Order: sequence, then structure tokens, then C-alpha cells
Amino acid sequence: MSKREGSLPPRLESIVYTADGDGYDWRLAWGIVAVLLVAIPWLGAGTFELRILIGVLMWIGLAQSWNMIGGYAGYLDFGHGAYFGIGAFVTGIAMVSLSLPFLPALVLAGIFGAVFAYAIGVPTLRLKGAYFAIATWAFAEAMRQLALLLDITGGTSGLTLPSTMAAFGIPLPDLPRVIYLYYIMLVLSVGVVVLTYVLFEHHEFGYKVKAVRDNEDAAESLGIDATRIKRQVYVLSCTTAAVLGGAYAFYITFVHPQEVLDSMITAQMVIMALVGGLGTILGPIIGGALIFLLDRLSALYFGSDTMYISLMGLLIMLVVLFAPDGIVGLLTGETDASDIRSNLNSLLEKFKFQ
Amino acid sequence: MDLFIQTLINGLLLGGIYISVGIGFALVFGVLEVIDFAVGEYVMVGAFAGSVLAAGLGIDALFVVPLVFVAFYAIGFFVQPFLHHVTTSNVPMPILMALVFTFGVAFFARGGILTTFGPNTREVPTSIATGGVTVSAIGTFPVARVLTGIFGIVAVAAFLYYLYNTKGGLAIRAIAEDRTDARLMGINIARYQSVAYGMYAGLTATAGVFIGIIFAADPGMGMQYTAFAFFMVVLAGMGYLPGIIVSGLVLGVAQAMFSTYVSGAWVFFVLFALVYVVLLVSPQGILGRGEPVS
Repeated sequence: MSKREGSLPPRLESIVYTADGDGYDWRLAWGIVAVLLVAIPWLGAGTFELRILIGVLMWIGLAQSWNMIGGYAGYLDFGHGAYFGIGAFVTGIAMVSLSLPFLPALVLAGIFGAVFAYAIGVPTLRLKGAYFAIATWAFAEAMRQLALLLDITGGTSGLTLPSTMAAFGIPLPDLPRVIYLYYIMLVLSVGVVVLTYVLFEHHEFGYKVKAVRDNEDAAESLGIDATRIKRQVYVLSCTTAAVLGGAYAFYITFVHPQEVLDSMITAQMVIMALVGGLGTILGPIIGGALIFLLDRLSALYFGSDTMYISLMGLLIMLVVLFAPDGIVGLLTGETDASDIRSNLNSLLEKFKFQ
Repeated sequence: MDLFIQTLINGLLLGGIYISVGIGFALVFGVLEVIDFAVGEYVMVGAFAGSVLAAGLGIDALFVVPLVFVAFYAIGFFVQPFLHHVTTSNVPMPILMALVFTFGVAFFARGGILTTFGPNTREVPTSIATGGVTVSAIGTFPVARVLTGIFGIVAVAAFLYYLYNTKGGLAIRAIAEDRTDARLMGINIARYQSVAYGMYAGLTATAGVFIGIIFAADPGMGMQYTAFAFFMVVLAGMGYLPGIIVSGLVLGVAQAMFSTYVSGAWVFFVLFALVYVVLLVSPQGILGRGEPVS
């Protein structure tokens, strides 16, 4: 981020403000983060740490991909996970049945995801609000059922992918596989975040998308082709989910409908974007990292994968009730203590039954 | 032919209980404008409540039905203010935020049950609803299914009676039509919305007890009934109550026919695909009487 003076609340300012400068410079901070991310496999991170980081990166990418359609465009896509699964299956089928290397298989997953998203998006985007949410949800569940029934997806037994780096596509030096997978996920995830930042925060496209979200009629009266914009956002966000799904398939080397097409995948994307802050670039990054780590920690310390489901449910309820702008809203001061108090008061108001 | 009639009657009996799930759901959409993603989880938690209460008190599951209704009426009564708060708050998309809230409720319920009772199914104990009723020339029907069908019909009839023949029902229907006008007529919005949501939660949970008697209580069953509820309201047209009776029976019969004559494996694919296609082709339901897409 470039220099932006006075646009942060005091509590953030005190963290990033440098006394000798006339403002703060995010470029240095981001530079350090970038160097750290690239260097981390050589700084003593083992397989365990790298696997955790791969998960964090993937979920940041997925949350950001949902944020495009759900946050920036305001369309509640409850079937986004279908594209993650489609990407995983296309990659798997291309590598197993067509014996393609990983790279062309991943490109194929992206192309397939885009074509599919366009074909589904054209009719589905005619629906609005809750109708769109139900339609996409039904579509995703139908995809899962279909994948369980078809032969090409391996049905109920799933697909097993080649697990050596020989299947990558280009010859590579002999390093542990997890390091390559880490870099694959790093490139893809950072790519998604940068793409979102450039397109939605810096480009004219982003303003058009937000205009359509905030008032479609007004946007159209200004000459914006709302239908086209919505299709573009939908195809873009679904394609990125499909590509990440493909990378996940290569990482986990086993693709099963109940796993890659699980409705929890969509749910996690929604929750991460929501908890972080909808329609912001930082929101899904914070939300994705935080919630993925919470999931891992709860599995580690409580030894229970199910407790986490109810914790997530509780988190959604609290965020919706008291901090609809998410963590980013709290950090930037958009939601402060007085907002939470007034929310609480108006909530108590609703309990007056007499 | 006997098999056909038997399948048809079995389907109609199942349809009876589906209606009692769908009708409250449709009412809540009309009154609160909220699509409740937690509907199936009320069925699931209801089935578990029936199982735990019946086993704990050592009585037949049929006798805990009123208890379950009262308990879930109370739960629903106090969940509604939260939804009301979200739908009337000044966030950019209040209705969608409420939908996300119910998503949270669903996860909370499912995770809670999974953590408390583990992933296994539980029997809902009953000694009354066992065995079969033999109808000459057609076949034998399980008592559990017959009682379930009868309960479904009675519950829906009572629900509709309340809605169309009492002052409270009138208030609820007025809110469904126009919340602001209803308030101006002196209706306590908070109370009657809570009554509507409480009845929906109670009705859905008691339906869950009966579904649990037929199939057992399963922590993963919620999703299926959420799908069923969506199927019914989408087919009937959002917010159009009488349509639910048709679509509930269609659902029950279609499920029974599909399992008997085609294959159980394809039922869910067809169901979800139909929800999707009907929404695209005729978003106001196949009867065309639902609320327009807004």
C-alpha cells in the first residue's frame, strides 16, 4: 500500500507510524512479509509447519475468492465450494485418466471452472438475494450427489493422484515434496490476493462492481452494464476457487466427493470472509488465517473436530449481531464500543413482548 | 398394482410429516422474511431431544412429544428477537445477514449435538409405534408411519386453525402482509413474531421426534431436511402456505416412488437439481403464487 496519511485510527497508527517520517509506509512491512514467506522453508520450518502454512495460504485464497462475489458484488454464493470440488476433480481426472502432468492439468481445471461458471452464472445471476443463495446451494449439493454417482469421478471410492513431484510437469531439483507444494500454494494464494487488490481496490472495475452492489438501478443509469459486471465477477471468483481446488488435489493426492464437495468448504469461505470483513482486501486474509488456525488448534488441544463446528456457528452469530463489518471493521474503528452497545440495546428492545 | 398402492400410501404418510416441517418454515419466511437454514437442524435436535427425554424418563417417545413441542416453542420464542434485530439493523444487506445468522445457528446446533452425543445414530425408543397395520388387499403398513402421517395432518390442521381462526393468527398474518401497518394497528410485533417462530420451531422439532421414530436420530440428518424444506417452499412458491400441502405430498410420494421403482441413490441428485431448475424457470413456485423475487 502506498502512503496514506491520516486514514487510520489512532490505535492502528501507533503500530505503524514512524516518528521520524511524515507518515507511514506499508511497503516496508509488506516487503518483510514477502521475504519471510519466500524464505520460510529455509528458516527451519519442518513438514508440520509447512503443512499448516499451506492450509493457511489456501484458505486465505479461498476466502478471498468468495469475497469477490460475496463481499464486493454482494451476491451470497452458497455453492462456491462446488467450484473448488470441480477444480479438484478436473485436475485429478486429467492426471489419472489422461496421464497429464500437474501444470497442464491445473490450467485445464481453471479453464473448465471458467466455462462451467459462465454456463451456471448466466441463468443463476438473474436471481437475487435469498433466491440466489438457495439456487447456488442446491446446485452445489446436486454436484456432490452427481460426483458420488458417476464413474469418472471414482464414485464413492474417490480418485488417487500420483504423489511424486515427477508428475509436476517440469523437471525439478530433488527437494522434499512439501516445499514445492508450499511454493505452489504461495504463488496461487498471493496471486489471488494481488489480483483482488488490483482489480477491486485500484481498478475502475472495482468501482463498477461496488456501484452495482450498492444500487444496481443507479449503476445502470450511469451506463454500467450490471449483468456483464456480475458475470465477470462470478466467473473470476469461481475460476480462482477451481484453481485452488486443483492445487489442493495435488497436495492431498486423494479426491473424494464427500471431502472436496463438502458443504463445510463453502461455509468456511463465507465465515472467514465475514469474520474478517466483507468486501475488504484485508478481511479474508485475517479471517482465513485466524479461522484455519482456530480449527487446527481446537483439533490439537480438544482432540475434537466437532467442537470447532459449534464454535464457528457461535462466531458467525456474534459477528452478525455485533460486528457486521468484521475484524477489519473493529481495527479501523468502523465498529467501536458505542456501536456494539447500541446493537445490544436494540437487541434487548426486541425482547419486549408486552 | 398392490406394490404401487402401498408405495403411494407410504409416500402420502411421509408427506404428512414433511408438510409439518415445511409449513412453519414457509410461515417464518412470510413473517420474518428470513430463509432459515437451520430448519433441518431443528428436526435433528428434535429427534435427539425425543430420544434423550424418552430414554431418561423411561417413557414412550410418543408421550414426550408435547414436552418437545413446549421446549422448542420456548427456544424459538427467544431465538426470534435475534433474527428480528438482524433484519432491522442498518447493515447493507440485513435480510442476507439474517440468513447468514441462521447458518450460524445451524452449525452451532450440529456441532453441539456431535460434540455431546458423538457421530453415531440414536434410537428413539417407542413400544407403541411398532408392528404393522394390515389393510386387506393392499398390504401391511408400519404403525410408526401411520401415526406419523396422522400426527402430521392433525398438527398442520391445528396450525392452520390457529392462523386463520384466532386473533393471534390474524396478528401474525397481518405482520406477514406488512410489518409497519401491523405495528400501526397496535400489534406487538416482537411478541407475535416470536409466537410464529416458536410455533415453527416447536412444530419442526416434534416432526423430528416422529422422523426419529421411523429412521432413528442421526447428527447428520439435518441437511437432508433443510433440503426437503427448501424443496417444498420452492415448489410451492415462497411464502404461499397452501402450496406447502401440495408440495409436501409430492415430496413424500416422489421419495417413496423413487426408492421403490428407480434407485435410492439418485433421489438427492434429482431433488437438488429440481430445486435449482424450478428457481430458475419459475421462481414463484410451480403454482405461481409465491412472493416475487425481490
